[in-house]
Amino acid sequence: MAGFQSMIPIHEREQHVIAAAHHILKALGASKNLSDDMRKILADLDVHLSIMNGHNESNGGGFIEIEKRLKRAEINVLSWESSQTMIWDSGSREFSEYLGAVVEIQTVKQSLGGLSVIENGKVKECLYRADSVLQMAMSRLEEELVHILVQHKQYFEPEYMSFHSCQEDLVYDESFVSLEDESVEETHQIVSSDDLSREHIVDLIHPRVIPDLKSIANVMFASNYDQEFREAFIGVRKDALNIVILAMEKFSIEDVLKMKWCTLSSEIKKWIWAMKIIIRVYLASEKQLCNKILGEFGSVCSFCFVEIAKASLLSLLNFGEAVAMGSLRPEKLFHLLDMFEVLSDLLVDIDSLLFEEVGSYVRIEFHELLRKLGHYARATFFELRSAIVSDTSVKPLPRGGIHPLTRYVMNYIKALIIYDHTISMLLEDQDMDCSNAVVELENEQQVSSSITSCALACQLRLITSALECNLDNKSKLYKEDALRYIFLMNNIHYMVQKVKNSDLRLFFGDEWIRKHNGKFQQHATSYQRATWSTVLSFLRVDGSPASCSILKATTPKERCKEFSIAFEEVYKNQTQWSITDPQLQEDLRIANLKVIHAYRSFLGITRISDKHIKYSVDDLEKLLLDFFEGSRRSLRNSQNSHKR
Amino acid sequence: MPATTEYQGSFLGRISIRRNQVMNMDGNHDQELEDIELFQRHISDRFADLLSSSQQQQPSSSEEASTPAAAVDPFLSINWLRKLLDVFLCCEAEFKALLIMGRDPSQISKPPLDRLIPEMLDRAVKALDICNAVTNGIETVRHCQNLAEIAVTALEQKPFGDGQVNRAKKALSSLMMEMTGEDKEGGSYARTWSFGRRGSAAAASTKDRGHLHLRSHTWSVSNNWSAAKQIQAMTANLQAPRGNDASGLASPVFIMSTVVVFLTWTMVAAIPCQERNGLATHFPVPKQLVWAQSMIALHEKIGEEWKKKEKKGSVGLLDEMQRLEKSAHSLIEFADNFQFPAEEERVEEVAAQVAEVADTCRKMAEGLVPLQLQIREVFHRIVRSRTEILDVLESTGKVSAPIV
Repeated sequence: MAGFQSMIPIHEREQHVIAAAHHILKALGASKNLSDDMRKILADLDVHLSIMNGHNESNGGGFIEIEKRLKRAEINVLSWESSQTMIWDSGSREFSEYLGAVVEIQTVKQSLGGLSVIENGKVKECLYRADSVLQMAMSRLEEELVHILVQHKQYFEPEYMSFHSCQEDLVYDESFVSLEDESVEETHQIVSSDDLSREHIVDLIHPRVIPDLKSIANVMFASNYDQEFREAFIGVRKDALNIVILAMEKFSIEDVLKMKWCTLSSEIKKWIWAMKIIIRVYLASEKQLCNKILGEFGSVCSFCFVEIAKASLLSLLNFGEAVAMGSLRPEKLFHLLDMFEVLSDLLVDIDSLLFEEVGSYVRIEFHELLRKLGHYARATFFELRSAIVSDTSVKPLPRGGIHPLTRYVMNYIKALIIYDHTISMLLEDQDMDCSNAVVELENEQQVSSSITSCALACQLRLITSALECNLDNKSKLYKEDALRYIFLMNNIHYMVQKVKNSDLRLFFGDEWIRKHNGKFQQHATSYQRATWSTVLSFLRVDGSPASCSILKATTPKERCKEFSIAFEEVYKNQTQWSITDPQLQEDLRIANLKVIHAYRSFLGITRISDKHIKYSVDDLEKLLLDFFEGSRRSLRNSQNSHKR
Repeated sequence: MPATTEYQGSFLGRISIRRNQVMNMDGNHDQELEDIELFQRHISDRFADLLSSSQQQQPSSSEEASTPAAAVDPFLSINWLRKLLDVFLCCEAEFKALLIMGRDPSQISKPPLDRLIPEMLDRAVKALDICNAVTNGIETVRHCQNLAEIAVTALEQKPFGDGQVNRAKKALSSLMMEMTGEDKEGGSYARTWSFGRRGSAAAASTKDRGHLHLRSHTWSVSNNWSAAKQIQAMTANLQAPRGNDASGLASPVFIMSTVVVFLTWTMVAAIPCQERNGLATHFPVPKQLVWAQSMIALHEKIGEEWKKKEKKGSVGLLDEMQRLEKSAHSLIEFADNFQFPAEEERVEEVAAQVAEVADTCRKMAEGLVPLQLQIREVFHRIVRSRTEILDVLESTGKVSAPIV
């Protein structure tokens, strides 16, 4: 423009040129669909032309023109000062006229500032007036900005914020009673309901008002009122985010540490959900909103975004910090892994949302929390083994059934391998320790596939061997050997079943399964021997003194009687013992049939008369079916029913 | 952080002393006494430094910003607080070395430590929440800084007329609102937006529509959390060890707890913070303890300031905020009486004040974010130490009650 000015020599003809230029400008200005920038350029040019005109006329005629224009703009601005309605609400024409007036004031200010006659009192006064009107307009636009932002806020879809309700959890308590086999599956619904795997943009502000917000930004920034714009914009948007965050109750670190596990567990689930929603949906959308409105202003845009997001993100992170400070308890592991997974999943989003320097503080905090959670999850995982080792009982489990600890541990690790990827990653740091231990554990075991030799697999086998060791100790509490074997058989069988029928088999391998099949069968055999060896000795027919020396009864009749008494004793005991697995129960009853064979051949050989036989072979066969039902029976009371 | 490096040498020295001590079990008790004494001396020295740096300067007069004495960080200024945080970090590192390094865990799990350490860890947790509340409060301070900067932008223009004066006045009025309104807030969104002439009929008549109070505070901590109550709880069971305990490890545990209480209390007094009503000014440290002299003096000094300012719904004792408050008052007064054109004399006066505000803003711009980061560092440090101490306690297997 300066060039344009200097190119024109001051002589008569220039008047015509200026007049012509004016004409063109007016024609252009009449066009309705001018951009703000364009309008500004034209207005600028117009003022410059007027000034040149004024100079030439040397009587301030151009200045008068400027003053007139200021007056017009001033009237527009002042007319709204007394009005009770928002300009924006009054219509888009009013609003764009108002913005036009502000642009006009800016240009007037600029041209006046550029005048060499700035010292002229009138010019100076005019400049002050322009400043004053501009201040009014800016203050007004700030209000309009807040008004539009508040009125046209789109309510953040409520279904996004509907947090999952508290579900049943694995609770590791002393009695282990709270655990049922199938409850484990339910704890992971939150993972499967994950439909937020990608960024999802919603409109936080009605898209219709975005251009107007942008115009306000442009005008305020052009007038050097960017500070006011920033404060207002950040303030409103920060509050909007706060309301979203308020859907989650805030807790102090102290609250979290004192929280009951059930409450904490449901808060963790809410947190996981909120993290995903807030980062993937809300903040991604907020960032886009900032970009749409402030994208042209460079670093201001990211500055505003970080200011809006920072406090809320930090308060979310603090909850994570508090959780990671809690005591190590095995039942927390699943939630910790959930938290770890969601955070590491969101890391990409966070890194892209906060990639600039201004957000680095929050970004670093994020990484730091992830590291802490990983560390804490790993420590919690190791805690399971110590918990198994230190779990001691003083009384044997009645009926020799499956110990709650066995159920707990097996279901726990079965649920754990859903996280195999994450936990393997966490265990990598500990690889060294683990592989040493495993060399000892598996010296005779051929490691077949890579998965059975991974860190997680090693740890899982260390856990089950700790469990076996513990079960072995618990089994010593039984006074009866036979029951001890039933207990061990039951529990190891349960372990094998859990491994065989789930993905655990991939980690344990066929060799482990074979070996443990062998183990429980061994216990079954030991049970048989412990139960029947004395009872069967009554039925020996060879009568060798060595085997019968402890027996007073020597006649077959008496021995048959003794046998019946001994059998009744076994019956009374073992009907109350428990084998819950039907197949195993069946197998063991079949194995017990050898007593029938022995009895039958005893009766066959000795030919005792029927009146001396208390139980027929058929009776015994039926009675054997009552074994391991877990409910005590006595033959002396129920004899009659069986005889029938 | 110059203060950190300053003490680094002695701290590292101590670690090696400890290591040797593990090797050599003879004279263990004497060594421990010596260590504790050294620790007390360091505490004493560090707080004496803080005290002396805060005595060199009287509360500001407007010329002071330009005098060379301004090189010293004023009492309760951002830089002074940062020094205090540095002191805390040093004390903390030294304390931890004294308490757990090379120590047989069973030593810290017997009476009276079996009670004192859990109490200390409980204070640590409360301190964490205070760190968070204060970090959040710094956001309010930054908002005030931004508003003051607007006023500076407006009034730095020369010459200025009604437009600039009104702009400055509006920003300063919001600043005053922000400063005085702090404690009664807490999530009252509906009220926040019922401003202005068009918002509600009642407000329509007031010509004070310039007050767009945009910021509603959302506290970082739970709703009914109160900084004052937390400080109260941290102090409640703080008792100087007596008798035999006074010479043992109970002494450094007490000292460190006192330092934590002092730090958090000072931060709460200085920086806007959730619920400070009734912040206690009692400091339960016996005056005869040598190491506590400077800390007690500082505490009294801050306590007096607090009592003076508390009534007014003060924004906190932070030096920069106090300065802003004062300048804002006089600039608003100037703006209220402003008539164009301004008298030359007044203009010069205002220019000096604006320069001071600008200087304060610059200090805030330089210091607030680092202060926030440093508080976060303290936060992480407390978390880490707590974990380490808990690990030691757990290794003895004697944690009877679950520790919060």
